[in-house]
Amino acid sequence: MLSVDNLVVRYGAVSAVRDLSLKVGRGELVALLGPNGAGKSSTINALTGLVTPASGRIVLDGQDISRVRTEDRIRAGLTSTPEGRHIFANLTVGENLRLGAAIRRDPKGVHQDIERFLALFPVLSERYGQAAGTLSGGEQQMLAIARSLMSRPKLLLLDEPSLGLAPKIVVQIFDFIGELKAEGLTLLVVEQNARQALRFADRVYVVSAGTLRHSGPPSSLADEHGLFNLYIGG
Amino acid sequence: MSQAIEETASAPAAVAQPRAALTRSLIGGLVTSLPVLVVGLLILNFAPTYYTYLALGAFVNLIVVVGLQVFMGNSNIANLGHSAFVGLGAYGVAILSTPLAMKKLSIPHAPFGFATLQLDPVSSALIALIAVGIVAAVSGKVISRLSGVAATIVSLALLIIVHSVFLNWTDLFKGNQAFFGIPKVVGLPWMMVFSVVVIVLARLFKDSRWGLQLRASAQSPQASAALGIDAKKLRLMSWVLSALICGLAGILYAYFAGTISPKLFYFQMIFNTLAMLILGGMATVTGAVTGVIVLSVGLEFIRSIESGVTIAGIQLPQLLGLSGVALGVVIVLCMAFRPSGISGRYELDELLSRFFRRNAK
Amino acid sequence: MDYALQQLLNALAFGAEYSLVALGLAVVFSIMGLVNFAHGEIIGVSAYSVFLAAALGMTSPIVAVLLAVAAAALAAIAFERVAFRPVRYAPTTTGLLTAFGVSIVVQNLFMLLISPKPQSVSILNGLNQMWFFGPFAVSSLQVMELIVSGLTILALVLFLNRSTLGLAIRAASRDFATVRLMGIKANRVIATAFAISGALAGIAAVFIIARRGSVSPDLGFSLVLKAFVACVIGGFGSLAGAAAGGMLLGFIEVGLLVALPQEYGGFKDALTYVIIVALLVYRPEGLLGQRVELGDKEI
Repeated sequence: MLSVDNLVVRYGAVSAVRDLSLKVGRGELVALLGPNGAGKSSTINALTGLVTPASGRIVLDGQDISRVRTEDRIRAGLTSTPEGRHIFANLTVGENLRLGAAIRRDPKGVHQDIERFLALFPVLSERYGQAAGTLSGGEQQMLAIARSLMSRPKLLLLDEPSLGLAPKIVVQIFDFIGELKAEGLTLLVVEQNARQALRFADRVYVVSAGTLRHSGPPSSLADEHGLFNLYIGG
Repeated sequence: MSQAIEETASAPAAVAQPRAALTRSLIGGLVTSLPVLVVGLLILNFAPTYYTYLALGAFVNLIVVVGLQVFMGNSNIANLGHSAFVGLGAYGVAILSTPLAMKKLSIPHAPFGFATLQLDPVSSALIALIAVGIVAAVSGKVISRLSGVAATIVSLALLIIVHSVFLNWTDLFKGNQAFFGIPKVVGLPWMMVFSVVVIVLARLFKDSRWGLQLRASAQSPQASAALGIDAKKLRLMSWVLSALICGLAGILYAYFAGTISPKLFYFQMIFNTLAMLILGGMATVTGAVTGVIVLSVGLEFIRSIESGVTIAGIQLPQLLGLSGVALGVVIVLCMAFRPSGISGRYELDELLSRFFRRNAK
Repeated sequence: MDYALQQLLNALAFGAEYSLVALGLAVVFSIMGLVNFAHGEIIGVSAYSVFLAAALGMTSPIVAVLLAVAAAALAAIAFERVAFRPVRYAPTTTGLLTAFGVSIVVQNLFMLLISPKPQSVSILNGLNQMWFFGPFAVSSLQVMELIVSGLTILALVLFLNRSTLGLAIRAASRDFATVRLMGIKANRVIATAFAISGALAGIAAVFIIARRGSVSPDLGFSLVLKAFVACVIGGFGSLAGAAAGGMLLGFIEVGLLVALPQEYGGFKDALTYVIIVALLVYRPEGLLGQRVELGDKEI
């Protein structure tokens, strides 16, 4: 579904991502792991088009989208839940969800989807008319993911869904991610929290200092004990 | 004036190599003023009177633009009110130094005994500068507290307040009419001297500890606050220095022209001097100088077309507004394609030394 | 009593006009951080369009009103396209100075292409009459100004809260990148904001032409300066603040007109600004502005 070839992202003279290649197959959940500053978020931003890569190719469903604008990539079925959630704090929960569906032209379907997510996350239903900024961190993350799903994407990029959340909440979030996978959604999850990310992952890429260090099934990480410790830690 | 230099000069004393840094900055300022001196001397010796008059106007603009650079270049906040200080300086000396016989004609009802007061040009200038300094300190107190955008709007409000006072306090400022009879005591040589002084002063401020800290706080407010830099105080400082330089420009203008009126110190002056600074590059003193030289020549050329020119025997009509369009286009194009202006990030002396070093290798 | 009512209506009408113009500035500033000094020239384009159309034989005041609003909206979109797009992601000062440049260019184009002198436009004079309610005489223009401004602001609020594009504009004022992640086109959001800003300016232009009966190159400039002050006093970037700031400015001005003796009337503008600046000493962030710390991140 998604294939990235020789991606390079530079900020001025600094290379954040060097020659990175990866693939995500239909229905797969792929985890992209690595320590802080490894270039994970830069990769995601290059995929969504918020930063322009210095070189490399990004192909979605056989279509080269490397030079396509962010807006049009979303319309092509690729959506991202950004790091730090970035919910619209001054808008209500309901308005956030409606904006998530901005590209859709089926009001009925949108309405049904909103109902579905409210049923799934009762807390969002309780706070439907409230400013989203008043939600707790975990609730904001639920809202951010739900908002991304409102566009009915083919591929969802999740950037650090566990960031700044309590362990119990992180488990809940990943349970939900597992359900999404079971429903057939294709996911690329970027994480520092390897244990959670590996629960549902089909394949794993490990990056550090902008370079791909390892790729393989999750079990390969457990085998190569040193690698796990070196790049990810306990 | 020398007091200010001493104060500014004492700043780099805290740095590792105080003397060297100070000397470099001083020499830098002198190098930057060289083109100004050359142009001035050429005009002084060879040009007809009409051009001398134009040059005097350009020198006043130069001092205003350098003054503007002191605030805008270091704090990175747009100032759209600086011509208020030029006007205050000019009106200050007009009220203080105009001969009594003239005052009887122009401002017979001036309050506070100004109608019967006549001082020599030098004391008048000093008192006018003090007045400018007071207004600058009060307005600066407000402006230095505000965020960038709000500060710019308040600088505009200041311009309107001052202009409105000039227009309406007719007993003191003579209102809309021209204030004439100011002693014409300044010629091109004095203008050149003050231009050099002001350029060196601006350079010393920019390179001083305060200038450096102010530029740092404009770049990254949080980081500099974490280092204990008091950005408000520094903004106030550069605002007052900038205002004093602009006030000086006004004083010199009044002393060479002999006649002033409020509209001289309003938006037209803001447009002209701002365009000069932007075109030259507001980050450097060199930029201020470059912008004034280039635009003064350019504007004079455009004005000659504007007033209706005859090309190949065909008389073109008057094209009022052409110079304004040109100024605006210069600003817009600069901002879009070269926001750092002609001179960019480096001062003239820095460019020269880089050039020679590269050639030496 | 009559006098007090008359002055109240005066203040409300002035305030309404400042609010309209200030809202136009705030809509654009809130989403792209642009301090649009050329807003006055949008009013100018609108007014000169009406002048030209009338000179070419347009006689219907209704068409003139529609033309004024449409011309202003188009001018705003055109300014964005030509001048502001290249500096969209540049620092605030760069955008501010660009807008200042555009303002100078357009003002001088009016001088160059039409005339530096005011030109008479009488097509909208009919809006400015005296209406009698029993013993009270009120200016029809002021009443209309108040009603139309109120309705316009209501429509704006509805648009911003109901339509997807309106939501996107509100969201973009905080986090433009994430709005793009929703698949919403950045150019469309910005063009809409400019169109709204322009339309508000166009409505203000209608009232200005009706009141003055003439157009001149600096027509909108001083009005926009006041609107800026209204924005600053309300809290820059806050829409509610802009509207409130505009009203406050109207009341300060009329208050000064009433309080100042005739011979000091010329100081009205100066004193208005002095009062505003004094208010800022106590609330540097404006009445409805929030202290935003740099680097605030919603985590």
